[in-house]
Amino acid sequence: MTAERPSWIHPGFRLVEDEACFGWSDLVSLPVPAGGIVLADRTSLTVAALAAAQRADAGLLLRRHAGPGEDWVPAPGFTVTLESSGTTRTPKRITHDFNILRNRIRAPHDAGARWLLTYEPAAFAGLQVILTAAAAGALLVAAAPGGGIAGLARTARQHAVTHVSGTPSFWRAFLTAGGDLPSLRSITLGGEAADQALLDRLRRGFPAARIRHIYASTEAGALFAVTDGQAGFPAAWLVDGREGTALRIRGGVLEVRGPRAMVAASTEVRTGDGWLNTGDLVEVTGERVLFAGRLDGLVNVGGVKVSPERVEQRLLAVPGVADAAVMPVASPITGFLLTATVVPDAGVDEAALRDALRGACADLVPAARPRAIRFADSLPLSVAGKKSRKGPS
Amino acid sequence: MTDSMFALIAEELGRIAADKGEVLPELRADSVFLDGGLPIDSLDLATLLVVLEQRTGRDPFRAGLRHFTTVGELAALYAVPA
Repeated sequence: MTAERPSWIHPGFRLVEDEACFGWSDLVSLPVPAGGIVLADRTSLTVAALAAAQRADAGLLLRRHAGPGEDWVPAPGFTVTLESSGTTRTPKRITHDFNILRNRIRAPHDAGARWLLTYEPAAFAGLQVILTAAAAGALLVAAAPGGGIAGLARTARQHAVTHVSGTPSFWRAFLTAGGDLPSLRSITLGGEAADQALLDRLRRGFPAARIRHIYASTEAGALFAVTDGQAGFPAAWLVDGREGTALRIRGGVLEVRGPRAMVAASTEVRTGDGWLNTGDLVEVTGERVLFAGRLDGLVNVGGVKVSPERVEQRLLAVPGVADAAVMPVASPITGFLLTATVVPDAGVDEAALRDALRGACADLVPAARPRAIRFADSLPLSVAGKKSRKGPS
Repeated sequence: MTDSMFALIAEELGRIAADKGEVLPELRADSVFLDGGLPIDSLDLATLLVVLEQRTGRDPFRAGLRHFTTVGELAALYAVPA
């Protein structure tokens, strides 16, 4: 006896994981742990657990790490609780109404789409990709865990994927992974600010692809998508709002208001009149609003508050730079100091690149310049696929 | 050990000064970093400490600020494993 297929899974949906192919009849027969707590390290198990929780009309906790925290008690009704990616601290848990998650997915039937999963299945962005592929009746390809960028690139080639969603850090590494990359139809960037140099590289590398970057805030989730291939978003949206969300800038920080922002569980970030402080620093340049790092990411270098992300964007725009990370390090002299790790493109002269990097920061105040620049073959990424931003502590 | 540390400090401080278009005078063990005799400021000194940690793998300041004003005093901090 096979349980009825949930309405959010199109009959054409297929999942490829570890060279095995799963359809609904395979997924529904997977054993799902009782009690609503699932270590969601496999995409197949994640889909099976979602369907089982929906049948039981019960809450589901998708865990990203084993360990303490099994004392969780689900609220009544079908909800999905996800964990933040923190590996050292106790992960933060956020409960989502499954129907709200589903209704945000706009995925017309597209049986020819072949999605690559670059996120952990139990990450918010990973679940969005899973739900999108399921609703479209597409093929979803999950690479073996632990394979890193090389594994993802190999899997992408092997299955000739057409749709990929990943962080800007993932995309920069993916572009340098070597070999022929598949001809993509759809490219999504999220989780970090997308810089213009990367958007231009993607446009050149994948001329046929639809490219969009998603703006999301930690508290409110995905708020709007930008599809014009330009970094940031149009300044006109500060007047008109976007996708039902009103936007404004207060003290250099982006604030949002609207039904999506209302989902925020935390009240401490509210400003009192319904606006939500996103903590994202922005600057208006001409007709564009550009992201300039996190308010809580500012570091004090000898009494000057500087934004590592903003300096990083300068470095990313230098020709010959495949990726770059600007990180604060503690200093007994100035409190903090910015250092940079740069991944050069293949065949680039490092001495010339060093000069160009210095030139790109020459007009910044001395405290904001990266004082020590190192070259590396790759950058370490967090499990969420972002650059590890250690707080200045 | 202190001699090789002294040489490393002279090399890296020379590089930092050169990046600013300055020429470092000959360093002595009793050269004071920030008394105006050397063409460097506190950011340059902070940079030197980061670079020395990258080059030696040692950070004598991990447990907090340790006193030094001269090149010789700084070299001595690295000579003794912290």
